[in-house]
Amino acid sequence: MSQVLHEIEKKIISSLKINENQTPEQLEESTKLSSDQIRRGIEWLRLKEIINVNETQKIFYRLGKNGLESLENGLPEKRLLQLLFDGPRNITDLQKELGPVFGPSIGLARKNNWIETNNNEISLKNKPDKIPGEKTIEIIQKEKTSIDVLDKTEIEYLQKRPDFLEEEIEKIKEISLSESSKNIQVSELPVGIDVEAKVPQTFMGRTHPLKDTIDEIREIFVTLGFSEIIGNMTQSSFWNFDALFTPQDHPAREMQDTFYLDGILSKKIATPEQIKKVSASHKNNWKYSWDIRESQKMVLRTHTTCVTIKHLAETKPDEARFFSLGRVFRNEKVSYKHLVEFNQIEGVVIGKDATLRNLMGIQREFYKRIGITKIKFWPTFFPYTEPSLQTMVYNDRLGKWVELFGMGIFRPEVTKPLGITKPVLAWGGGIERIAMLKYGLDDVREFYNNNLDWLRNVPKCQ
Amino acid sequence: MPVVELSFKNLQKLIGKVSKKQLSDNLPFLGLDIESEENDSIRIEYSPNRPDFSTDFGIALGMQGLLGIKTGILKLKITNSKNYSITVKNDVSKVRPFVTGIIAKGGKIDDQIIKQFMAMQEDLHFGIGRQRKKSSIGIHDLDKIQFPLIYTTTSRTHKFIPLNAKSESSITQILESTQVGKDYGHLLANSQKVPIILDSNNQTVSFPPIINGSITTVLPKTKNLFVEVTGINKEEAENMLAIVATILQSAGFSLESINISGAKNSSPKFLERKILLDPLLVNQILGLDLNTSKIISCLKKCRLDGVLKGKKIQCTIPAYRFDIFGEMDLVEEVALGYGIQNLTPTLTPSQTIGQTNLISEKIKLLTNSMVGFGFIEALNSSLTSKRILYDNSNRIDSLSLSVLDSKSLEHTILRDSILPQLIENLSRNIHEPYPQKIFETGTVFLSRKEIDEEFNFAGIVAHQDANYSEMKSILQSALKTSFDLDIETKTNSEPLFEDGYCANITIKNNSVGLIGKINSKVLENYKIRVPVMGFEISLSNSIL
Repeated sequence: MSQVLHEIEKKIISSLKINENQTPEQLEESTKLSSDQIRRGIEWLRLKEIINVNETQKIFYRLGKNGLESLENGLPEKRLLQLLFDGPRNITDLQKELGPVFGPSIGLARKNNWIETNNNEISLKNKPDKIPGEKTIEIIQKEKTSIDVLDKTEIEYLQKRPDFLEEEIEKIKEISLSESSKNIQVSELPVGIDVEAKVPQTFMGRTHPLKDTIDEIREIFVTLGFSEIIGNMTQSSFWNFDALFTPQDHPAREMQDTFYLDGILSKKIATPEQIKKVSASHKNNWKYSWDIRESQKMVLRTHTTCVTIKHLAETKPDEARFFSLGRVFRNEKVSYKHLVEFNQIEGVVIGKDATLRNLMGIQREFYKRIGITKIKFWPTFFPYTEPSLQTMVYNDRLGKWVELFGMGIFRPEVTKPLGITKPVLAWGGGIERIAMLKYGLDDVREFYNNNLDWLRNVPKCQ
Repeated sequence: MPVVELSFKNLQKLIGKVSKKQLSDNLPFLGLDIESEENDSIRIEYSPNRPDFSTDFGIALGMQGLLGIKTGILKLKITNSKNYSITVKNDVSKVRPFVTGIIAKGGKIDDQIIKQFMAMQEDLHFGIGRQRKKSSIGIHDLDKIQFPLIYTTTSRTHKFIPLNAKSESSITQILESTQVGKDYGHLLANSQKVPIILDSNNQTVSFPPIINGSITTVLPKTKNLFVEVTGINKEEAENMLAIVATILQSAGFSLESINISGAKNSSPKFLERKILLDPLLVNQILGLDLNTSKIISCLKKCRLDGVLKGKKIQCTIPAYRFDIFGEMDLVEEVALGYGIQNLTPTLTPSQTIGQTNLISEKIKLLTNSMVGFGFIEALNSSLTSKRILYDNSNRIDSLSLSVLDSKSLEHTILRDSILPQLIENLSRNIHEPYPQKIFETGTVFLSRKEIDEEFNFAGIVAHQDANYSEMKSILQSALKTSFDLDIETKTNSEPLFEDGYCANITIKNNSVGLIGKINSKVLENYKIRVPVMGFEISLSNSIL
């Protein structure tokens, strides 16, 4: 427990030192604090055992419907007696005069032996000194009145009569200083607040963890001299496949792997020269009859390479480094390993002196900058690069080598038809995989679940 | 990627002088991925461009080279024989014009080898055979066949006992009632006549590309084989045969030729190809300084041959390596022979200055302001569902873009708006503390004349006291502080929003988006119990 007390607590203690037992309402009055502040202050002080909260009940009475009526017109039996003061009266007359209270008043007066009946006449027999209940009604009036100031016998008596009294039970809190705190000197308490107390959690605005990884990668490439290009996610098959030397009957182009857009053909896929030369490269090397309609089919890009190659074909630079970052699509069943849509980074270097070893060097440098140092290269196959390699990185958590980026040099069958004359080093891979390593995730779907608890709380530096 | 399951012991026996560890260490440098290893069994993934790796014989061939146990080209030894011939009739030219084949004698056949041959056959059918469309293989027991054969066509009423069956069926029955018939029958289209290989006793050897005759079934007691490949392109059929011939020779069979003639068909020659390789190209691409003899020795390690011809190297490529198109493929072979592990990465300084795309920079500005306003950034798929975009969000599907045959019901159409997804995100988080504030920037797809891809920016707030002014004020400040742009809001009505609480957002009198209180029906659909305000604007026309 901290020795530091809040200003509210101090005010309550000071007031209790002057006036030992107080209700919260009284404290409100004496400290000039709001009811909410008093409520909180009492709670804090109670937990710290500085005060005792004594809860008691208090009984109050109000007049009911018949009580109020009696307050205005007198009790029914009193009104009856008053009518009889001047001599006996005919029952019918009394009924008329007294109305609804006739019955009860007669009954009560008879029971008390105040009246007697002869034939149709009622006359006074004994005149009582006082009428029970009358005084209590006078005291209560129209107020809520504590039992303390009332006569208990009269209350009991009136309670037996219908609708004369309403009882209210109130719970009363009485606050007093606990024995051990009676000597607290408020002026001697340390100043400040309870710095050890628990505080509520604050949620701040945050960027998405995957976006952070994307930004980090973007920054690394910019630092390494690469410029960013952005391209469309919907692409003609021509740029997604044909320009990259993937034959039209290749299994990768089939519908089970690629998302084709329903009923949409690209009207102007490329320049006539590009179409002529690319199709010739297919016919000569893959030996089949190339069909322009196949290349007009629109797809959701399966890689960002289509953006790269289109850009290269348009600009034909002799020397350049650029990269593209963005979403790519695969028609796969969603699982902890696979998404239908994920992000890819792709980079290229074009230059007369670009070599395979440079390509490996850029990879090594990139991995080093994201904190991966245990890497190796294995040969692999891609339809549009030759030679082709893949990077394997060692995952300490899994204790094994996992495949990361693929890379290679664009085949002459890709570059020549598009008028690109210098070697093009290219590489790329999924960003989610890198982000999964970074955030220690085993399920790639977590990135797209938009689970606020995770987004609000995941530590960004692990 | 195709996978082949092999035995370490078998591989070691075939390669010679290699430890298990050496083997698993070196397989990746042949371009093979080890998928799993367990005791003697190893599962290897190989690239579809190297169907010669579909059996342990092919992998052994490659490993011998890489480890330097046996290098250089494997010559096919084919004995010329006059005993075997196939005559091709003209009528096949319309359905499946080409046939080729080879005889293989005296190899050892057991269950293990039959299993491997079947796996190889399936991989060849799938990959270079393009699901049997381009070419398909049949492997038969030679001794059950009476040569000469004819490759001709027959009607669909023709009957024979197909492989794995006990009684005769007609072609029509096979196509209608067997799995292979259903899978590949479409390759024959509606042709009245179908291709058939018959022997001189009129027995059905094969009904390509569907099924073999039962009579020629290869069993462990089979000694000699007849292999035929049929297809729509002669060269590709012969390529496929070259693979099978190479594997069979490696498996210990002696090969004998078949004389093929008629209807533009001829006997396969398994010709080796010659390609000139410039050593300068090798060194330029790999970043090395190898002399010609080193380059030649690298090529030999990849089971190719090379001799110096002037300043260039004349390379010899065996028939089964039809994956090699030209010089650049040979550069890769040199790299593999040299050993990828021996290539050291180098980093050359950049001649260029890097730059972030302006769009990315502007998005970053917006992101920063939203984070400043306490918003969490969300990420949703651009490929989503009708349920989220339209049904649940009360919106009208005007011209959405759908994809064909998606494997996931949740991913069938491209989003034309981000806001419905953010509302769905709230529904997944109703147990998280409020206020909830999220935003997203991303591409949306609009089907106009062509497909328009636009960059949108959407935000949403949900809490007990959420109100229109709060949302408008945030958007207003975000655009003002990021781009010095002022927004105006004009009364509007849209089904996603509550009537009387919806406005068009305009920037410089151009309408760029919507803002308002999300319709209570939409919130009900998602069981969200607090008021929700949202906006979405297109950045493409006004800002980016």
